[in-house]
Amino acid sequence: MKIRRSIAGVAFVASAALILTACSNAPEDSDETTAPTAEPTEAATGGTLTVAETNQFFSFNSNTSNGNVDINAKVTQYPTRAWFNYVDGSSFAAGNPGVAKDESFGTYEVVSEDPLTVKYTINEGVVWSDGEPVDEDDLLLSWAVDSGHYNSTDGSVSYFDYAGDTGTLGLTDFPEFGDDGRSMTVTYSSPAADWEYALAAEVPAHVVAKGAGLADGQALIDLFTKLADTAPTATAADPDLQKVADFWNTGFDSTILPSDPSLYLSSGPYIISDVVENQSVTLVPNEKYAGDLTAKLDSIVMRTIPDATAAVQALQNGEVDVISPQSSADTLTALDALSGVTVHKGDQLAYDHVDLTFNNGGPFDPATYGGDEAKALKVRQAFLKVIPRQAILDAIIIPQKADASILNSQLFVPAQAAYADSVANNGSDQFPGEPDIEGAKALLAEAGVPNPTVRFLYNVNNPNRVNAYTLIAAQATAAGFKVDDQGDAEWGSRLSDGSYDAVVFGWINSGVGVSGVPQIFGSTGGGNYNGFANAQVDELANTLVKTLDPDEQVNLQKQIDPLLFADAYGLPLFQSVGVDAVSDRVGGIADYNPSQSGVWWNVWDWTVNDG
Amino acid sequence: MASFVLRRLGVSLLVLLGASFLVYQLVAISGDPLQEYRESNRPNKEQLMQARINLLNLDVPAPVRYFMWLGGALKCVIPGKCDLGKTLQGQEVTDALSAAIPSTLQLVASATILAIVIGITIGIVTALRQYSALDYSVTFMTFLFFSLPVFWVAVLLKQFGAIRFNDFLADPTVSVGVALGIGIVAGLIWALLLGGTMRRRLVVFATATVVTAGIIWYLGWSQWFSYPGLGPAVIAVTGAGIAMGATALLAGLRNRKALYSAFIMVALAVVMELVLVPQLDDAGFWLIVLLGLAAIGAGLLVGWLMGGYDRGQSMKIAALTSFLVAGLVLLDRFMQSWPEYFKATRGRPIATIGSETPGLDGDLWITGIDKYAHLLLPTMALILISLASYTRYSRASMLEVMGQDYVRTARAKGLPERTVVVRHAFRNALIPIATIVAFDIGGLLGGAVITENVFSFKGMGQLFIQGLSHQDPNPVMGVFLVVGITAVTFNLIADLTYSALDPRVRVKA
Repeated sequence: MKIRRSIAGVAFVASAALILTACSNAPEDSDETTAPTAEPTEAATGGTLTVAETNQFFSFNSNTSNGNVDINAKVTQYPTRAWFNYVDGSSFAAGNPGVAKDESFGTYEVVSEDPLTVKYTINEGVVWSDGEPVDEDDLLLSWAVDSGHYNSTDGSVSYFDYAGDTGTLGLTDFPEFGDDGRSMTVTYSSPAADWEYALAAEVPAHVVAKGAGLADGQALIDLFTKLADTAPTATAADPDLQKVADFWNTGFDSTILPSDPSLYLSSGPYIISDVVENQSVTLVPNEKYAGDLTAKLDSIVMRTIPDATAAVQALQNGEVDVISPQSSADTLTALDALSGVTVHKGDQLAYDHVDLTFNNGGPFDPATYGGDEAKALKVRQAFLKVIPRQAILDAIIIPQKADASILNSQLFVPAQAAYADSVANNGSDQFPGEPDIEGAKALLAEAGVPNPTVRFLYNVNNPNRVNAYTLIAAQATAAGFKVDDQGDAEWGSRLSDGSYDAVVFGWINSGVGVSGVPQIFGSTGGGNYNGFANAQVDELANTLVKTLDPDEQVNLQKQIDPLLFADAYGLPLFQSVGVDAVSDRVGGIADYNPSQSGVWWNVWDWTVNDG
Repeated sequence: MASFVLRRLGVSLLVLLGASFLVYQLVAISGDPLQEYRESNRPNKEQLMQARINLLNLDVPAPVRYFMWLGGALKCVIPGKCDLGKTLQGQEVTDALSAAIPSTLQLVASATILAIVIGITIGIVTALRQYSALDYSVTFMTFLFFSLPVFWVAVLLKQFGAIRFNDFLADPTVSVGVALGIGIVAGLIWALLLGGTMRRRLVVFATATVVTAGIIWYLGWSQWFSYPGLGPAVIAVTGAGIAMGATALLAGLRNRKALYSAFIMVALAVVMELVLVPQLDDAGFWLIVLLGLAAIGAGLLVGWLMGGYDRGQSMKIAALTSFLVAGLVLLDRFMQSWPEYFKATRGRPIATIGSETPGLDGDLWITGIDKYAHLLLPTMALILISLASYTRYSRASMLEVMGQDYVRTARAKGLPERTVVVRHAFRNALIPIATIVAFDIGGLLGGAVITENVFSFKGMGQLFIQGLSHQDPNPVMGVFLVVGITAVTFNLIADLTYSALDPRVRVKA
């Protein structure tokens, strides 16, 4: 009792003392005007912008197959590598994916179309942040990596573990160099449609040379020159070049800021100044940068936030200014409720589709019917007719994006100008969004196979795919198909093994360029999992990758598109929704960019305004 | 004894081997490491798949791959030769672990310690007041928190503890209504805590409501939330409370020497607040630690100088009081840097993600506040969900002890209730809890997978879950190894502690 009374006493005295002595640490002259406010005044330029990303940064070289994760490219490519051109992130929303040129870095021109010859010239005075000029050794390193020239043709020797496609520059022979020391001319042995995207910005050549034990960039040039003719037929790796390749492959991998500053040199507007392992990367303006794409901010901070809800709340709390979370109905609802934030929705390059298998002895394979192509085609058409694409769209995409529509082309997306044109003529209208049960039954009856069994493969761990399967299976069963549920967590390893007749999954497009087309639809393409073979498509696709004229490329794709529907290849379902959200204090981010670089593609335009 | 320990270690080793084999196989069958390439239509994807196959030895069956991993892991016995493989990102797993462990400890350690202290305190108090309204309400609350999913608690905490609170800080004035509401809640808590007759409760409720509401309103009015601080007066009064509380608990207020030595320490602390604190602007971390030790040392010295028949008690109480009041002084110094930190974070001080503000530079005080502002919410989330088990265990244990014959004997021989509870009951009630605490400390390194994910901490849990979702076996096995070894070790320590604490338990060889 005594104790309790004393506690009450202490509480009383405490409160009294509190009121008597102003216990806050307010400055003596404190009044309303000196109170800190949430909005310190800053100029329109300068300031710090914080961007949330889902992945953890771990490599300063995003061109290796190991380092080629979106986050490494976002942090290193656009901010710290000036280059002749860059993928224009606003071009996707505009329906014309392509690159923008940066002529303050250098220029490239087609010297001749036959044979295709391209001359690259770097402007005078372009330097790395250590003062070393960006010149021919850097051009040559890019070419050596991106062409795969030094790998032996029989595959026994392989040097650079390059993530990109060496097919395009692989058509060129050792380049010629100009006397100015800053220009390079490559000549293609046959026309290559994607030539403009083939030569990519690289890590500094003089750093690679030193890292491999060579004296300088010139020594690297000498080494490449020496081996240019012998490497393709070599049977053993050249020890010096192997050292160069080893350093290029792994020397730039680091989850922290390396003690050697040459590993994170910059030729672009920003330079990396700090890396907190797995958490954040800080970029500050590169003082040596003299190009047009100048930095407008004092610093950019990239923070890793894997959880979408956490990212939304961090944006709301002002800890980050830009987020690009995985889109879902919940995330979008949360984002729409925020004030002071602009949400950009768009279509991702990924799209879901149903493919039918042509070569496994199943119901869609002509071989099942003794090679009767027409019969198999009718069964395929019947199955595609029952796919309720509108219902699938309503279930999966509409909750995220109310104005989304069914994808009706295998090659174009709605944002592209050619889409409407192609859809009008590609025969996709035989497979409307609503299931046609009667039509399917009639086709099956015509084919004389009233109850074919369809083994349907999908990823059981992806709710969207499970949804799509359930909707399709219900309609197919109504039309007489026996649907065998092959839902499998290991679905990926079963692709192309012939153990299923239909599959729903997503393609992830690489963005710009056309070399993906023969990859999927060509009879020998690496992404052709369903044994589709059409000589006409093969021919058109092969012509496509050799066509330089963009209009002609569109034209060829328009010819391929109907062939795929005529053969009842399968059906595209929908494009996934992509989203980013930007605080109103940020300027310079206007559209959703579906390509790998996300919001970072115009990092030099970013500003913050706290006024 | 020695043979017991050796036998236990031997068995543990076998358990670790078997478990690691199982975990490795489970990771191997948990998904398809090549999936990200299968959906891609990149022209060179076959080459990329081949590279991944070579990197992870996917062409070797998983059981055989396990022994390849084990070969590297066994080398860890030799210092500096450890080879736990690389992550898919090409980082050595040993490096990844050495980055993740401190991050996890930072997050989980303080939460666990606080949960243990608060949980045991609540458990003891509810046991002493069994079947009272307090007991029932505390039981209800702890179970409620226990059953909440942490990701949901985290979202709520962020919404109200960070986003709304930061909004409030932009214009920190408290309306009379809000102050009154908070006052009523505080009044209810005090009435429950102090208990007694209905009239007493009403008086306590009314007083606490008015006083709390008054304080809250005053704090808002005086801009305390923008320029927080304690000042010598609050330190003196709170310190006096601490001094009386510590004495009452550990020695009884009749021990005047102990009480006076505690009061001397409070006075000293107030002097330090006025004299020493202004000199501490450039202090470093170790200086603060040193000052903390000095505070304890001064307490011991004062207690010793006070003399008397029970010097030890005075020393103990003075040292404890001194340490706690020094903590108040430290808190006040941190508060003085608050306005600067507030500005540095553009008026959004309480953070929802990560462990620090990137690119923030400042002195010890600023970075200290930064750590606090980042750890506040995850620590609260972890404490809330782990409070229940400690509360229930310590309550049950205390109840059992209070029913023992020796407690009755102690009362029968006329000991004051304080001595019975603190000396005879409390100490014995802690014995079974020691086992649980040892287990939990062993589990510390495992991290808190979901909490780390929601709060974007890059600790062991993240390493584990990232590895699992990319079917990357090496980091998963690395985490397993660390967690497994600590769990086994602390189990052993728990057994040994038990026998050391309880003379009835003997380890037989």
